[in-house]
Amino acid sequence: MKASQVLKNGVLPGGLAGLAGGLVLAAAMYELGRLDIFGQLAGVISQLAGFILVLAVSALLGAGFGVLVWYQRPNAGETLVWGLVYGVFWWYLGRLTMLPLLQGKGLTWDVDSARAAFPDLLGLILLGGIIGLAHVFLRRMFQVQAEAQQAGRASLFRGALAGLLSAYLLGVAADGQDQLLAFAGMAAGGSALAAWPVILLIGLLAGVGFAWLFTDSTGGAGVGLIRGIAYGFFWWVAGGLTLVPLITGSGLVWTATEVQIIFPTLPGYLLFGAAVALLYQFLGALIRLLFSEFLPGSSEEGLGTQGLRIVGRSGLAALVGGLLFSLVMWQTGFLPRVADLIGSSSPVTGFIVHLAIAGLIGLSYGILFRRQSYDVGSALGWGVSYGFFWAMLGPLTLMPVLLGGTPQWTADAAASVFPNLIGHLGYGAGLGVTFYILEARYSPWWVPRTEVQAARLERREEQVQTSGPALWTLLILLGLTLPILLAKGQGLTPVY
Amino acid sequence: MRGASNILTPAFRHDLIAGGVAGLIGGLVFWWALAAQGMAPDVPGLLGLHLLGAGVILHLLSSVLVGASFGAVLRYQPSGYAGTTSSGLLLGLLWWVAGPMSLGPLLEGAGPTWSIVEAQKVFPSLIGHLLYGGVTGLGFYIFVASYLYFRPRSEDLVPLPEVPKTRVLILGGGFGGIGTAQRLERLYSRVPGVEITLVSQSNYLLYTPMLAEVASSALEPQHISAPVRASCPHTRFHRGEVVDINTKDQVVRVRSGGSVPYEDLTYDRLVLALGSVANYFDLPGMAENSFKLKTLEDATRLRNHIIGLLEDVDVEPFDEERVSRLTFAVAGGGFAGIEAIAELFDMVHSVLHFYPTIQPPQLRFVLIHSRDRILPELGAQLGDYALRKLQARGIEFMLENRVTGAVPGAVLLGNGEILSTHTLVWTAGNQPNPLLKTLPCEKNRAGAVVVDGTLLVDGLTNVWAVGDCAQIPDPYNDGRPYPPTAQHALREGKVAAENIAAVIQGKPVKQFRFRAIGVLVGLGHRTAAAEIRGWRFSGLLAWLMWRTIYLSKLPGAEKKVRVALDWTIDLFFPRDIVVTSSLERNPILDGNPVPPASQEQPPDNGNDRTNAGDGTAGDGAE
Ligand SMILES: Cc1cc2nc3c(=O)[nH]c(=O)nc-3n(C[C@H](O)[C@H](O)[C@H](O)COP(=O)(O)OP(=O)(O)OC[C@H]3O[C@@H](n4cnc5c(N)ncnc54)[C@H](O)[C@@H]3O)c2cc1C
Repeated sequence: MKASQVLKNGVLPGGLAGLAGGLVLAAAMYELGRLDIFGQLAGVISQLAGFILVLAVSALLGAGFGVLVWYQRPNAGETLVWGLVYGVFWWYLGRLTMLPLLQGKGLTWDVDSARAAFPDLLGLILLGGIIGLAHVFLRRMFQVQAEAQQAGRASLFRGALAGLLSAYLLGVAADGQDQLLAFAGMAAGGSALAAWPVILLIGLLAGVGFAWLFTDSTGGAGVGLIRGIAYGFFWWVAGGLTLVPLITGSGLVWTATEVQIIFPTLPGYLLFGAAVALLYQFLGALIRLLFSEFLPGSSEEGLGTQGLRIVGRSGLAALVGGLLFSLVMWQTGFLPRVADLIGSSSPVTGFIVHLAIAGLIGLSYGILFRRQSYDVGSALGWGVSYGFFWAMLGPLTLMPVLLGGTPQWTADAAASVFPNLIGHLGYGAGLGVTFYILEARYSPWWVPRTEVQAARLERREEQVQTSGPALWTLLILLGLTLPILLAKGQGLTPVY
Repeated sequence: MRGASNILTPAFRHDLIAGGVAGLIGGLVFWWALAAQGMAPDVPGLLGLHLLGAGVILHLLSSVLVGASFGAVLRYQPSGYAGTTSSGLLLGLLWWVAGPMSLGPLLEGAGPTWSIVEAQKVFPSLIGHLLYGGVTGLGFYIFVASYLYFRPRSEDLVPLPEVPKTRVLILGGGFGGIGTAQRLERLYSRVPGVEITLVSQSNYLLYTPMLAEVASSALEPQHISAPVRASCPHTRFHRGEVVDINTKDQVVRVRSGGSVPYEDLTYDRLVLALGSVANYFDLPGMAENSFKLKTLEDATRLRNHIIGLLEDVDVEPFDEERVSRLTFAVAGGGFAGIEAIAELFDMVHSVLHFYPTIQPPQLRFVLIHSRDRILPELGAQLGDYALRKLQARGIEFMLENRVTGAVPGAVLLGNGEILSTHTLVWTAGNQPNPLLKTLPCEKNRAGAVVVDGTLLVDGLTNVWAVGDCAQIPDPYNDGRPYPPTAQHALREGKVAAENIAAVIQGKPVKQFRFRAIGVLVGLGHRTAAAEIRGWRFSGLLAWLMWRTIYLSKLPGAEKKVRVALDWTIDLFFPRDIVVTSSLERNPILDGNPVPPASQEQPPDNGNDRTNAGDGTAGDGAE
């Protein structure tokens, strides 16, 4: 990379994007009445000083971001994900570590200080997201060879449809827990009839936005799913916690205790994002199937051969992952609850049911993430990300429903199934890595052996340039951090 | 075979080292941050040691090890610092889960609970691990990048190394050739520098044990053949005919179908697996007037011929002609011959109801065999069993007799008799591929190249031979040659591949040793005879074994399914009688056009052949 070019096409647009994000951040901090706290850092308690400081820091972060994503693909959606993970990371590095040191207060990495800094986490995530988005467009403006592919009207429509459908599903699930109003940003006691249009509108916007942002993103259905979760998270922060309360006039609620109350919206939004992505892709596949010409693919081996391979590989992979998970289940005495799914209470039955579920999820992993891992690193990344997805969908959503209840999206429930989250991550890691090893053993590309290596290397490099690594980190970071910070008090007793 | 030398490439080594160093720095940052919070004495470190004294050393040591594992997992990826840093964070998080959340409590004897309370307790360590992961990831990238920057030629960044390639060339895509290629692919799946090329006329492996069933319309031709490209995806495949082998210059000339008439392929190691061809022992008229059963084409031709005969007989007015057309002869009482006659018998009887003018007693099936016992490979008892079974069905056996020649419509026998038949299947003689005659090495009387116990051709360097075209000494049998069967060819191929790999790596080679597991022969009509490890089986049981074993050996899941379906269909429906070749010209017309239709009788027999043209109703023929 040439320094002058990086300055012109990386740092400059990054810095400008940072300024744009800084304006939003400052506005949010003003709204929260925290702007003057920032001023303190410069030694003066004044809104103006705070404002200038926020802008300066944001511009710096933006410039840094410009260098970070220099080699990444200038794709809007993927840069957004990089922005989000960048924001979260700076909360840990900047807000929780560097700032106290600069202030001479000494480091305090405990949960209480982290909770106190919770609004800044949301602020930094918002900042990161805006930097990511603004950066892409500025970079495209600065660079002559704008290679961006515009979303066609058909795909926007497809996105809208996916968004509406997902919003409907979200609404139903939320309604079941009496959380519909929380999603619509309305105070308790409002009417559900008024909440529905808000939720559908969010769905529409989010769906169109997804189609627009991820038009030229590559990767299979699984990659899209993980992307959708990250996108859902962005909507939680930007939409659920920021825009919706501002528009409905209830004001920003960003402190840890306040967010705790509307925690159910988090799993809601994450699953919503996943649904948007899956439906979007599903509709696309359906349209291709119905209306378009057959596109000859050189890597297709026929459903039978492929299917048998997937079943064999994912079966073994799921067994490895499932056994890892069962260690957690056994240690925490969770197996009888799994057995409850089929009306039994014996741990052995639980173990068998657990393995069966693990096998089914493994199979879906094999279908969704076929040929997406090019090294152990990315295998681990996709595996644990998928594990996280199921940690939300399984114990918080499907399991209570199957046991005859409603989804349990509260902060307490999330905190109480924390061991389960860890188990899912272990499962995902075992699943992803084993599947990758089995897949790589039989090099699937129809090219002579020496070229296989080159092909794999090239794809691996390509994937590094996508948002893959950022997605994995973002999901796991949030999955671990948010329950810890938002669980009520230290004295919380686990459910089991 | 993938030894340490292969894994520890220079690239992998510097990734490990850079990861370890970066891990050390990350570990120092981590420790300093905890110490700065005054936590060092309180936070129980690894093994319950506090982050002081021995605890610090342990902490740093594990930081180095974990960092090295990061290097091994992430590997250096050019211009991928964002991804590497981000993945570093992820790995840091996963280590937090594995370490303070799981291993820590375990080592302290409390056992992990993974509860939120526990997580909140070790939250500081989460931030620490995150920081550690980020520093290690980024540091790792920077170290490797600057190492490569300052020593640009220390390693090829281009992944395809320009190492001299070893070219292994395999001639023949039968059991021997495919066996060799598959084993080589496995041995060299990750190692560039060995290029495997396979040349064969047919682009598939023909599963010969089921060939007779193709001839008898029970199986579809493609279903018993596995494409070479599917069986050996990483082998370079050339479809073409080998026309010359020059072992002095290590070049093989191949005639292929492209715009270039032929191509020369050089090799470093050569494997001969060209199989065998039919041997007619120069008997007069044999080659022209008999059918062989070696290729798919042969099987399809035989099948079309027989159904064509049935069609002809259905409209044939003359009795002698009917008799000779309904007589089916097979020469050779070995496996191939016995399976052929049994299958032909089954097929003709299965479709007979389509041809109302043919009665079962009019059919004649004759097997001509030079010795007094059929199936010499199976031992007296099972041979007799097969003989009895087939005789009971009405198949005639002419034992201790031989075919001495053939003309259209008749076969001459050694005892002077003449057998009127339009169908003679020749399975009584095979010879190794005649191409091998040109090789400057020792050959046996039949023409097979003589190899030593390691399958290396005597008198040639870098050439191995397997399968039907090689004579291989059997150490279990006083050095007498192994029989030419598919089971042997496949295993010989594997050993040849291993020995080639051993030679390339300078390791000791091994002897080929194989005791045939058993022999199975299908006798049609849901019976078979088998001898497995000395145990003899016959009847339905043997038939079930035959089907199960052969189906399981058929290469590829897809083909297994197809054959299983074919067999199932065969249980419920008659065999297919579609003739896929066009109607042959009637020799009686001698190339003249058939006269236009009229009320007059057709010429009777061959007598009128000369005036056939005159017999027409005075149209423009004259
Ligand atoms: C009808 C029948 C039934 C059989 N049943 C059994 C059985 O039940 N069990 C058993 O163990 N064995 C059986 N065999 C024997 C078995 O088929 C052979 O032993 C086996 O095929 C030998 O393998 P090979 O690799 O040496 O040669 P082949 O399998 O014959 O392969 C030779 C290959 O070389 C190619 N080739 C030949 N000449 C050239 C050239 N000039 N240029 C390029 N390519 C060329 C051919 O296309 C072919 O692919 C049977 C054989 C027949 C014919």
